[in-house]
Amino acid sequence: MEFDINPYNFRLASQMWLQLIGLLAAISLVLSLVLAVARNGVGAGLKLFRDGLSGYLSDLANFSVRRVSALTRLTLLEAIRRRALYVFVMFAILLMFAGWFITDSNERPELQVSVHVTFLLTAISWLILPAVIFLSCWALPEDIRIRSLHTVVTKPARRLEIVVGRMAGLSIVTVIGLLVMGAIGLFWLNRRIPENAQAALECRVPQFGGLYFIDANGAPGVQGLNVGDVWAYRSHIEGNSRARAVWLFQDVDESALSPSADGDGQELLLECRFEAFRTIKGSETSIRQGISAQYTLTRNPREDAFGMLAVSEPLRPLSEALREGQYRIGANEARTLAERIRTAPDELRAGDYFALFNGAGSAATFLDTLELESLTAVSALFSAVSVSAQQAVQLLQQKENGARVEVPYEELADAVTALGDGLDEQADVMTEALPRIDVPLPSFHVAEYHDNEDDSTNLTRIPRTLQVKSPNSEMLARYLSGLLEEWNADGRLVSAGAVDAELTNELVSEMAISRLNAERLTAVLEAQLADGALVVDGDSTLKIADGSKWYSFMDRLIRAQELVSDDPDGWVVEKDLINDLLDSNGNLRVEVACMNSQMYLGMARPDLFIRKADQPFWKGYWKAILNIALMLMLVIVLGVTVSCIVKGPVALFFTLTFFLVGQFFHEFMVRKLAGVEEGMGTVESAILIAQHRNPQVGMDVSEATMSAVRAADGALEGVLWVFNAIVPDFTTFSRASAFVENRFDVPFYDVVIPAVMAFLGFMVPCVLIAGALLKFRELEAK
Amino acid sequence: MSEAVIEIRNLSKIYRDFWGRKKVQAVKSLSMDVEKGEVFGLLGPNGSGKTTTLKMLLGLLFPTSGEMKILGRPASDVSKNERIGYLPEESYLYRFLNADETLDFYGRLFNMSVADRAKRADELIEMVGLGRARRRQLKEYSKGMTRRIGLAQALINDPDLVLLDEPTSGLDPLGTREMKDLIKQLKSQGKTVVLCSHQLADVQDVCDRIAVLFQGELKVLGRVDELLEVRDETLIRTPSLSAEVQAEVKAVLDKHNISDAEFTRPTADLEQLFLRTVRESGERPGRRFSTEEVAASSAASET
Ligand SMILES: Nc1ncnc2c1ncn2[C@@H]1O[C@H](COP(=O)(O)OP(=O)(O)O)[C@@H](O)[C@H]1O
Ligand SMILES: [Mg+2]
Repeated sequence: MEFDINPYNFRLASQMWLQLIGLLAAISLVLSLVLAVARNGVGAGLKLFRDGLSGYLSDLANFSVRRVSALTRLTLLEAIRRRALYVFVMFAILLMFAGWFITDSNERPELQVSVHVTFLLTAISWLILPAVIFLSCWALPEDIRIRSLHTVVTKPARRLEIVVGRMAGLSIVTVIGLLVMGAIGLFWLNRRIPENAQAALECRVPQFGGLYFIDANGAPGVQGLNVGDVWAYRSHIEGNSRARAVWLFQDVDESALSPSADGDGQELLLECRFEAFRTIKGSETSIRQGISAQYTLTRNPREDAFGMLAVSEPLRPLSEALREGQYRIGANEARTLAERIRTAPDELRAGDYFALFNGAGSAATFLDTLELESLTAVSALFSAVSVSAQQAVQLLQQKENGARVEVPYEELADAVTALGDGLDEQADVMTEALPRIDVPLPSFHVAEYHDNEDDSTNLTRIPRTLQVKSPNSEMLARYLSGLLEEWNADGRLVSAGAVDAELTNELVSEMAISRLNAERLTAVLEAQLADGALVVDGDSTLKIADGSKWYSFMDRLIRAQELVSDDPDGWVVEKDLINDLLDSNGNLRVEVACMNSQMYLGMARPDLFIRKADQPFWKGYWKAILNIALMLMLVIVLGVTVSCIVKGPVALFFTLTFFLVGQFFHEFMVRKLAGVEEGMGTVESAILIAQHRNPQVGMDVSEATMSAVRAADGALEGVLWVFNAIVPDFTTFSRASAFVENRFDVPFYDVVIPAVMAFLGFMVPCVLIAGALLKFRELEAK
Repeated sequence: MSEAVIEIRNLSKIYRDFWGRKKVQAVKSLSMDVEKGEVFGLLGPNGSGKTTTLKMLLGLLFPTSGEMKILGRPASDVSKNERIGYLPEESYLYRFLNADETLDFYGRLFNMSVADRAKRADELIEMVGLGRARRRQLKEYSKGMTRRIGLAQALINDPDLVLLDEPTSGLDPLGTREMKDLIKQLKSQGKTVVLCSHQLADVQDVCDRIAVLFQGELKVLGRVDELLEVRDETLIRTPSLSAEVQAEVKAVLDKHNISDAEFTRPTADLEQLFLRTVRESGERPGRRFSTEEVAASSAASET
């Protein structure tokens, strides 16, 4: 079960629904016309069809809620008087003896909660389900059999209304049942779950992100390492290497934060469930403590822009330099590359040219999304390289296919050279526009499923205000240059032609800068002023003498070891998680590294999520109950519909089949139709089995038989398609329970709404069909 | 006043089994009208197609061929039900409801207001004499009581046309009498009543016109008094005569007319008519009898 589900696309769903309904309506109209004509001859048949249709439409037009409510009431009374509510008694008994099914153990509190909630929700749905199927399949046929329906249909009640009334009545009975059971169940949970696990009775609200991997060579990819599992659900990253798993959380804002545990302030919670894979036994403690992992929150536009270039080996040096922000080195790498293309183009494979096309293209696209005037020149250069490389790729392909074409390597080399020159020229601009922030968090021991070590964890609390100790030179340079530039603009650095005497104090009191470091900074400024590298401009601001930007100025000072901290704690840079770390699109980037060498951490997309503020348990619980209600109501609708045309036992059989297929095989059908599921067609498989052959060898039959078999399988596939379209996907409804059972909140828009829509989507045509079936049948007990 | 409430033309019904094979032809080419304000009896032995005809009129069954109009509308039109009351052959109502709830439920189906429903229910329960049992569930009712509540639900909407299928079945003689009085009362209110029965004696004194069905065919159709008229006989009714007087009368009759004697035409028993029709039909299937023929054959059988 995945808790990271695709967002619900209402438009797409309703479009498909409308198409299907249109198709269904057309088919049923044609079918009934054909039937009418076949049975009564053309003239009478047409008249019958016309009258039938207009009668049905007028029934629709005369639909009366009042009459329906009378029938609903009748159904309710019937259920009550016929003791359908004995189900409750069974429920109560089941809960009383729950101990027989649930073993009390000292498992982790989360597991205890899961077990209890699972038991409860399963008990509720599977207790009501048989009653519901039975009632819905039996009610109408029984009415017809004992002819009590005769007195109803000879009143102005439309048959459609009878159907709706039945469905509504049974639904209300079911909902009441669920409400009562739900309330009892909630009470039971609160009493039954042991004291120590009560706190785990909560609904986590996850925000999932996208995942990609960076391998030990720095190349990005959608998959990490496969450590040899057959089911490669999780990909692995190698410990103690450059390998990273990178999660991108989109649209992060303050709502992703929770109130801090200590009361004031906010914090970001990251929860993981990584899987460890060990190639060595390791020490006793490493086994008990689990493997260490480290999160790094980064804002890294350079990775986004230039990461894709690293896919290809020959492009990697260029990619690395650009990702490090070393644009001048990058320029040289580009020229080297150009030279290689010019002189020995065949050393690079087609894949490399493709990577160049793709990498340069995504760089251009990314730079464009930043919408910075200063970057348009560079972006255009990348774009030119991409276009040129694309051409090369295409021609290479044609050449491979035997065409005699010349690949314009020269042109491509020129474009790359131009890129190199452009990088040289625009290095400062790019440095300014593409800042990188890294906030490495303390490493932690990953809690795996089996261990319960106190200091291993899968929940990490990150304060909103991050204190980055001993930041790298880029961050420090950016921090100090940003600070000085702002204060300088406000005229706070200079007074009376010299560095402001109060500057040190102000830095200490207003910023999180220690006195030692503040004094150092003031001293450096004074020294630079004395040196003439800084000059006083006007009477209250400073100016950099050679006209360079504050960032480069500070960067130079830092590199010249002028600003080495006198404080043993080093410099501390404060970053705000929301304001500083999110990229321009509001995305948060979390890199995960594994710290132990020769160990691997396995992870899949849902394995790391931002845990938003928890919701109370009952919220998710009632949403799950609502989904169960929708499922049962759909069963009712199906049962009543089927029972309009066949007798009780047959209706029971059909409804049960629908339910079981929809619950357990729907996904399979979809995958089979989408071609994801491996295997041959049904007939072909049967023959293969009979002939003891495998799919690679194929059937031992003649050509003609072969095509006949394939045609038969095609037809079966068609039947499967129809079945797939008609049979509701009941897992849509059970999904909510799975969320709550795993202590997740149920996402309203992506789980509850689709269930509601699925219910409505099936209910509407079913009601219409059921109304027609009942209207156009004779009410004769046979 | 000959405004037809029901028109039936060439109506046929063939029951088929699941595979579409013909099982039985229950109604054969039936044509008849029912006029406004009359009490019309549909007679015939069990299985002669009376119920089938009624069900087709109500739209419960679909005719195999033929045309019908009921209250001027096609049988498949549900809106006609606003003005119709129907008592099924055996009133299977919802057995878990009591009489009040039953009437309330059916009243709701007519979109009647709460007050109307309550008032009407009181009237009807009073009328059918279920006052003491109105709060008991129908499953505890006897056959006769079930019939009564069935009639009450048929009248809940104060219908213009009442269709009663075997209204007296299961009723004791007293109940039968009451039912007949009720039917007369309905007629006096200007309602049209169609009733099916095989219990001829019951129908004899309430029906204006009757149709006799046999094996799905209409055998006889006409006014009850005409049908039962015997033309070639004279009934002499006098005060009780002694044996001598009788002998004398016989002698006198041979020679004279007696002035104060009362000469009337006697009526035959409907039962005899019925049995005769059935017998004749067995001999000459597929024929419809005229009123004259019926009278003539009745004379023949008397002698
Ligand atoms: N549902 C049915 N299926 C097959 N035959 C039926 C059905 N209902 C009635 N019949 C047959 O149709 C004929 C007429 O039945 P019915 O109309 O009930 O007669 P009546 O009401 O006059 O007793 C009978 O022969 C009966 O057996
Ligand atoms: Mg009958």
